[in-house]
Amino acid sequence: MTETEFLLWVRGPAFQIATVIFVVGSIVRILEIMILGRKPNLAEARGSAVAGGLRTIITRSWPDRGTFKRSAVTLVSGYVFHAGLFVTILLFAPHILVIDEVLGISWPALPTPLVDATTVITIIALVVVLLHRIKDPVLRFLSRFQDYFVWFLTILPVITGYVAFHRIGLPPPTLIAIHILSVELLMIAFPFTKLAHAFTLFISRWYNGAIAGYRGVNS
Amino acid sequence: MSGPTLARGLNAFKEQIDAPTASFFSSCVHCGMCAEACLFFTETRDPKYTPIYKLEPLRKVWWQEYTFWGKLASTVGLSKPVTDAELTEWETLVYDSCTMCGRCTMVCPVGNDITYMIRKMREGMAASGHAPPGLIGATQRAVTIGSPMGVKYPALEAQIRHTEEEIGFSIPVDVVGADYLCTLSSMEIMNFPEYIGAIARIFHETGVSWTISSEAFEATNSGIQIGVSEIAAVLVERIVKAAEKLKVKAVISPECGHAYMAIRWEGPNLIGRPYSFKVVHILEVLDELRKAGKLRTTGKESRRLTYHDPCQISRRGGVYEQPRNLLKMVAENFVEMPDTGIMNWCCGAGGGVSANERAEVLKMKDFKRKKAQLDAVAPDALVTACANCRIQLEEGLEENHMDIPVISLTETIAEHLAGETHPEARPS
Amino acid sequence: MTEIRNDFEFRQKLDSLEPARQRTLAARFVESVLPLCDDERVSRVVKVAANPHASADELATALHTAKVAIIDSHARCGAECDWKDQAGYFVARAAAAAVSPAGQMAGGSAWHAAMSSRMAETCRSIDTAEDNAGQARKQQYRILSEYLTA
Repeated sequence: MTETEFLLWVRGPAFQIATVIFVVGSIVRILEIMILGRKPNLAEARGSAVAGGLRTIITRSWPDRGTFKRSAVTLVSGYVFHAGLFVTILLFAPHILVIDEVLGISWPALPTPLVDATTVITIIALVVVLLHRIKDPVLRFLSRFQDYFVWFLTILPVITGYVAFHRIGLPPPTLIAIHILSVELLMIAFPFTKLAHAFTLFISRWYNGAIAGYRGVNS
Repeated sequence: MSGPTLARGLNAFKEQIDAPTASFFSSCVHCGMCAEACLFFTETRDPKYTPIYKLEPLRKVWWQEYTFWGKLASTVGLSKPVTDAELTEWETLVYDSCTMCGRCTMVCPVGNDITYMIRKMREGMAASGHAPPGLIGATQRAVTIGSPMGVKYPALEAQIRHTEEEIGFSIPVDVVGADYLCTLSSMEIMNFPEYIGAIARIFHETGVSWTISSEAFEATNSGIQIGVSEIAAVLVERIVKAAEKLKVKAVISPECGHAYMAIRWEGPNLIGRPYSFKVVHILEVLDELRKAGKLRTTGKESRRLTYHDPCQISRRGGVYEQPRNLLKMVAENFVEMPDTGIMNWCCGAGGGVSANERAEVLKMKDFKRKKAQLDAVAPDALVTACANCRIQLEEGLEENHMDIPVISLTETIAEHLAGETHPEARPS
Repeated sequence: MTEIRNDFEFRQKLDSLEPARQRTLAARFVESVLPLCDDERVSRVVKVAANPHASADELATALHTAKVAIIDSHARCGAECDWKDQAGYFVARAAAAAVSPAGQMAGGSAWHAAMSSRMAETCRSIDTAEDNAGQARKQQYRILSEYLTA
């Protein structure tokens, strides 16, 4: 396969397959959750479950002081790489062009040198995340193959994107193809691994807040 | 009811898994933050006490039963079913090292309610025969005798008579049409019977119409601690029957943590129908009396006081403002602990842990978390509103050579009641 | 001999006593129920309480001992109740009340010692379904009368 054929395949059939798996898989994951249902609460409510659910979706992103102090490395490295992913994925001009092609919507991009610097910071943060996972006794104890595999799938697009942008090593079309392929791998794994938290956390935070809010507690 | 088996246990797991549970397991990213919220972990630094890890068998069942890849993997034998040996290994994690305090639930960044799931997991653990012996005994006594500690009504009657002597007026029992039905915990009846005198005096002074039921005086619910909803329902039903028979407007839950959770929040769901009466915690009643201007106190405690929030009342129950309102009435030197209110730390003995002799050593270790809070605040006395917390706090303080008296909030209010006249003071 | 007719008068007279006298009186209340307690530490505490010349240090040590005895004897959560053992718990509480510093027990240490002693009696008779609450009270009135007359 020539480098052009590779790139066309990655941008064409592979992308379609990955998208289908991503969309169908995510819908299946959500359905698997919701179909289990939840028994209605017959106790007299003190507060509002709905208000609690909506509130916790937002407030759970902001830990209290004591919690922050105890888990500072986890929180800081986690937030940095999440923010970095947000910037590098959604505020990078070439990505916005792709989204425009596929979904028909677009928005202003950040200056590319800024995104470039963010990419480096994101990679550093992800490395810190891995080191922390390996060295911290609780994380080491909890972690399974999936945790490390998913980490790899997450950092791969960031690294291959950086490499592709800076045209290091291989011809640009091949580098871009590798980068797109790495994203497709991430998309395929997304609904079936802990990466699903990206959308299921809205459900879990909702339930948490609803259960507590019903009792009059802001969780 | 047939005996416990692994199959019954796994079935219970399957039935317990609902949408919230599935969303929680789907969202967990193994960040480990729940560990730092759990006093069993913070005081031992043993990673096996990480809250989400305590749920591992339940998570496996979820994955194998309710996810596409999990179902496929278990069908072709790539994923092994949960074994009896695993449940044996998890018994100490689910019972000895968890009080269902709910702090992990408050801290998880993806919003997992781990406590909710532990409560569900205990259903399967009990059904498979993996509940601690101490709890099994207490539960059996609760069902057959009416109290987990075997306290029968004549014993309570004797305590009531003693109290009537002390306070100088009679305590209403089995009064039809009273506004409130007061329940009590066996711990209070046995160790802190002055609670009965305290509420009697407060209600007498504030003109509250109340009664105790000779048929249903026990507030505690071993069923929810051990995780057998059928038993929990039987225990709640007793109180419901008494409340309906006496035609009361509300049932009062005493100074006991899980009793409030059982009757207020789980009760109607256990028996499958809403109540025809309200349920309130004694602190809620007192605070309402305060707001209505009926509860009047005199004098203030000058010693430095702090408040230990019983988890099932504050964080899990929603009654965290009322104790502070009440304390402000009688304390001129009240300070909060670091990490307070709904983020306060558990005493370490709730959720069945104190009834579990096997957990004794661990229970004393985890008290160190409360000790750290108290070291930071250096109070003259520690106020709380749960008899079980009280015992644990007293034991922990003694073990750590700390001379801080532990006092009940309700009793403290009673101590400062204004305007009481002893009936025997009438001129003869 | 002053006659005490009811708990209101009983309490009035207790309140009128100064702390050191409340303590030695409290010791007598506890002594009357001491046989209900197996814990020999509690007897030692009562001896200290009964000593009108006990030093502050001795009282502090006795209080600590009494508190340990209380914690050791309380009913364990979820354990099967034993009212005979609970009697011992209340005797320990009465002893602790007797040696508590003045002002620490709202209502006075003698009153608390008296109430806890009565509770110990109540516990003793629960299993036997005796009704000697009245007796315990009258005995305490007698003890107080004798104490005031002496």
